Amino acid sequence: MATVTIQKLRKNYGAIPVLHGIDLAIADGQFVSLVGASGCGKSTLLRMIAGLESVTAGTIDLNGRVINDVSPKDRDIAMVFQNYALYPHMTVAQNMGFSLHLRKESPARIDQAVKETAALLGLSNYLDRYPKALSGGQRQRVAMGRAIVRHPQVFLFDEPLSNLDAKLRVQMRIEIRTLQRRLGTTAIYVTHDQMEAMTMSDLIVVMNGGRIEQVGAPIDVYDRPANLFVATFIGSPAMNLIEGVLEHEQGLSQVRVGGQRIAMGRRIDLAAAAPVVMGIRPEHLALAPAQGLEFTLPFKVDLIEPTGAESHVYGQTGSTSIVAALSRKDDLQLGQAVHLRGQCEHIHLFDKATGARLD
Amino acid sequence: MRKLTLHYLGRAGFALAVLVLLLWSLGPVYWAVLTSFTDPRDMLSEHLSLWPQHPTLEHFAKLFGASSASQGNEVQSVWPQFSRAFVNSLVTSAAATLVTLAAAAFGGYAFVRLRFPGRDLLFGLVVASMAVPAYTVMIPLYRLMISLHLIDTYLGVTLIYVSAFLPLALWLMRSVYQSLPVALEEAAWLDGAGRTYTLVRIVLPLAAPGLIATAILTFLSAWGQFMVPLVFSPSLATKSLTVLIPEFVTRNYVDYGLMNAAGVVAMLPPVLLVIFLNRFLVRGLIAGATK
Repeated sequence: MATVTIQKLRKNYGAIPVLHGIDLAIADGQFVSLVGASGCGKSTLLRMIAGLESVTAGTIDLNGRVINDVSPKDRDIAMVFQNYALYPHMTVAQNMGFSLHLRKESPARIDQAVKETAALLGLSNYLDRYPKALSGGQRQRVAMGRAIVRHPQVFLFDEPLSNLDAKLRVQMRIEIRTLQRRLGTTAIYVTHDQMEAMTMSDLIVVMNGGRIEQVGAPIDVYDRPANLFVATFIGSPAMNLIEGVLEHEQGLSQVRVGGQRIAMGRRIDLAAAAPVVMGIRPEHLALAPAQGLEFTLPFKVDLIEPTGAESHVYGQTGSTSIVAALSRKDDLQLGQAVHLRGQCEHIHLFDKATGARLD
Repeated sequence: MRKLTLHYLGRAGFALAVLVLLLWSLGPVYWAVLTSFTDPRDMLSEHLSLWPQHPTLEHFAKLFGASSASQGNEVQSVWPQFSRAFVNSLVTSAAATLVTLAAAAFGGYAFVRLRFPGRDLLFGLVVASMAVPAYTVMIPLYRLMISLHLIDTYLGVTLIYVSAFLPLALWLMRSVYQSLPVALEEAAWLDGAGRTYTLVRIVLPLAAPGLIATAILTFLSAWGQFMVPLVFSPSLATKSLTVLIPEFVTRNYVDYGLMNAAGVVAMLPPVLLVIFLNRFLVRGLIAGATK
């Protein structure tokens, strides 16, 4: 059982603030991803939870106890490092048993715990090997084993998959998630890869410039991004953004883009003539007529990226570059002018001045 | 064609440089070994010889013998003095190496990983002390050692050696620690290890090549010291080989054979130490820790 509650957490390096007041509540057994571009403070936040960085202000609370000044060795938190940080002069078994050895467990119990964990991770045949004789994926597993074997309160993962190749990364992310579900241990996972964050997490925390932009279940964050940053950060290819001006007519709102008006089919609570940004995900654009209230955009094809299942078609609407994820049956040619269609209810609307979501 | 000529010219130049360097460093060693086996009469020969004409163990016999003959006269054996100085050299060099190594292992770590006010300034001062010529501190140091009653004691000589060689050792160990990934230590802390335990169990084994290099360097420096024992070891109680051997020069006669035989024996401990420690200079120990 472990809950982590972070309140008004700040971190300064000298005069430079890197975290500007983080509030976050993590329930027992949750898998939480901290996601954001490099330099957003996600790793710093994780290292503060581990006790590897000091707290400038605010509190970190583990199971109702403030642990700001508890040394890392007494926090009962395990961490998997980006570069694995395996002890090179110890065998796999010694690496995994190190924490139990420090707790003065009996050699028989250490041996048993290490063997069980190794079996769980498929490392049983490698217990006598040194880290240098292991592949990247195996080292990754040993690093995980070292964390699992001691049954800590919380797992921390600092971009653990970024050194693996693409195929192994997908496999390991499934393994990590399955294992965490099975053990039921609270996990906090730092990644810059929004796909990892989306696929693995119960809760996704989008960070930017030392602040939390949005916290929510992956699908909620995807469907209703709270602001322009989240809208463009989550999703690949990124959401299309088209600037326009808000207008109201007969109680309903519409956006004037270039010469045309796009109906929202709903009332947006913002003054008329305010500059807004329309967001449309690439997969919500098509050539075929859409159902319900429809909008169309003139589109000139610049580039087609076939990905297999679908094609990402890049081009221009007015002076804005956008991308549409189209069926590859839509046989388009470079330079061809077509109309893209979509449902008005799929349009996300943001205030251009603040970047905040408008509905 | 021109390119090929240049290539061979380059190779020849390189070979020549290696040859000069070898002659420069091994020449004197060879000369000492040669002289130690040369008959005294051949030493004064006007023909230069690069191989002993009449190889003899006479000088070594004189060094190790209970008594010896010199120019037909029975003279007192040098063995009691030589063996005592040999032990003195061993004790002071080994003690200086061990103390320096321990202080550098912990001190160097503190200069890298601990945060305390004035850390970098302090380190700068320690390193800067290497630039102070030893001769300028000799007189105050002598006064100090007299008042501490440390003249002609192992402790006194060892302390001076440590103060002289520690700055370089600290500098070396600091660079060694700087090159080790801090994540390994962080992993150990999170595994439940304290600072000292982490240093001893995780960091020092990985810093072993650096420790060994530091040990070799310190031992060789101490073993070869001449000025410090000359001043601070007036009697055979602590006198080192480096000071004793030149004393084989007497008023009437320079016993080159004996001096070189003693010199050859004095070369053995450092050579053996380097060969022995070199086995532990395992490369690539850190491989596999990360990525």
